Amino acid sequence: MRRVTPRGRFLLATLAGLVLAGLVHIGVVLLIPRLSETDALSRARTGESLDHAMPVYTLVTGDGPAPPEAWLPIPDPAVAVGICAYDLADGPMRVSARTGPLMLSLAVHGRRGAFYAVTDQAAVRGALDLVVLTRAQYDEALANADENDVSRDVRIVAPDLRGYVVVRVIAALPSQRPAANTAVQAVSCTVDLPAEDKAGG
Amino acid sequence: MRAADMAAPVRAESHAGAGAGVPTAAARVAGAVREAVRRASTVSLVLYALALGAGLGLATADYATRGGYPFGGVAVGAWTAWPRTGSVGADPYARAVNARRGEIPLAIGEGMLLTAAQDDEGRMLDATCTYAIAGITPPARAWTVTVAGRGPRDPDRTIVREGYTSTETLRERDGRFVITLSPEVQAGNWLPMPRASGPVRLALRLYDTPVAASAGTLDRTAVPAITRTGCAA
Repeated sequence: MRRVTPRGRFLLATLAGLVLAGLVHIGVVLLIPRLSETDALSRARTGESLDHAMPVYTLVTGDGPAPPEAWLPIPDPAVAVGICAYDLADGPMRVSARTGPLMLSLAVHGRRGAFYAVTDQAAVRGALDLVVLTRAQYDEALANADENDVSRDVRIVAPDLRGYVVVRVIAALPSQRPAANTAVQAVSCTVDLPAEDKAGG
Repeated sequence: MRAADMAAPVRAESHAGAGAGVPTAAARVAGAVREAVRRASTVSLVLYALALGAGLGLATADYATRGGYPFGGVAVGAWTAWPRTGSVGADPYARAVNARRGEIPLAIGEGMLLTAAQDDEGRMLDATCTYAIAGITPPARAWTVTVAGRGPRDPDRTIVREGYTSTETLRERDGRFVITLSPEVQAGNWLPMPRASGPVRLALRLYDTPVAASAGTLDRTAVPAITRTGCAA
């Protein structure tokens, strides 16, 4: 090998360091969502046992200041937000919402971001039923489906096992804020067990 | 941080050897560095490269994912639209920012976020000035305009109002609106400044809007104009 001057060796080391810095940078940025303990998914999983949406941002009503569970960085002061964590290993997740006078939207987030969103305008007879399932559970539901029975469920195949459903209710006027908070709490999130599925038709 | 730790002993060691007789401090440091480079063993060079890589990589990753989204925005007049920060197609930086802040971004079918930190002439929004946010918004079932400062809120300041919704806003006969963002009480739609001084930001959230899928086609007449009408200073 040819002899390298000390300066050349130093430049080579610097160059190697810069290349390494690029690799570290890319690796860290890609790992942050997986390792973070303050992201929405990790926080949502703490309230997993609830059968209704966990309030994330409750609107300020006349009674008091912003509640302590508000952890959204720049929340919209007119929108109440609730969250339901799901783990499809336990079974499909059913999210049921009744539409009211207030505008409501549901968004299903996986590990990589939101893959489905629907607003109350898609509701059938005042009810919005989402079932989040894996590909295998979807095939099973199709195979078990009764052809004469029309299902009103919206079935969504999730890319990951874990994720969360976000409920947003917009209070257009300050007087609607208590109703918006109630509407978020009224959304139910339950694990759709196969036995119940057959019994319910 | 680690890079600095590694560099320090090397420099200190060479200071002893090359210190005497050099007139200025800058020349002495340069001489010391040259001396260190010449004497450096392979092991110390490898350590230097590792430290440089780790330090620089971590620092730049932290910088890029701290605060707002580094890129992916679509400039529309004074506003920046963020159509993809919540979708599966979000770039890794947007995902990292969301994860670090615990943000729940709006999905494409749900709505779209637009932010503004400058007025139409490119000056930073300042809490001591008065601004008119006037015009129309892109089609949406509902929208809200919110003002926020950076950092935590001042606990002593009573919050009169943080934003307007599309239903609350008083409008002209042709459907246009003017929201006055000012530290002083104003007639019409008055949005108080959230803090006494410093920069502020505006957020325009469009809910249930068709434009989220085609944010690139918006032009500046479709979003409200932000005009500075006066400053207290």
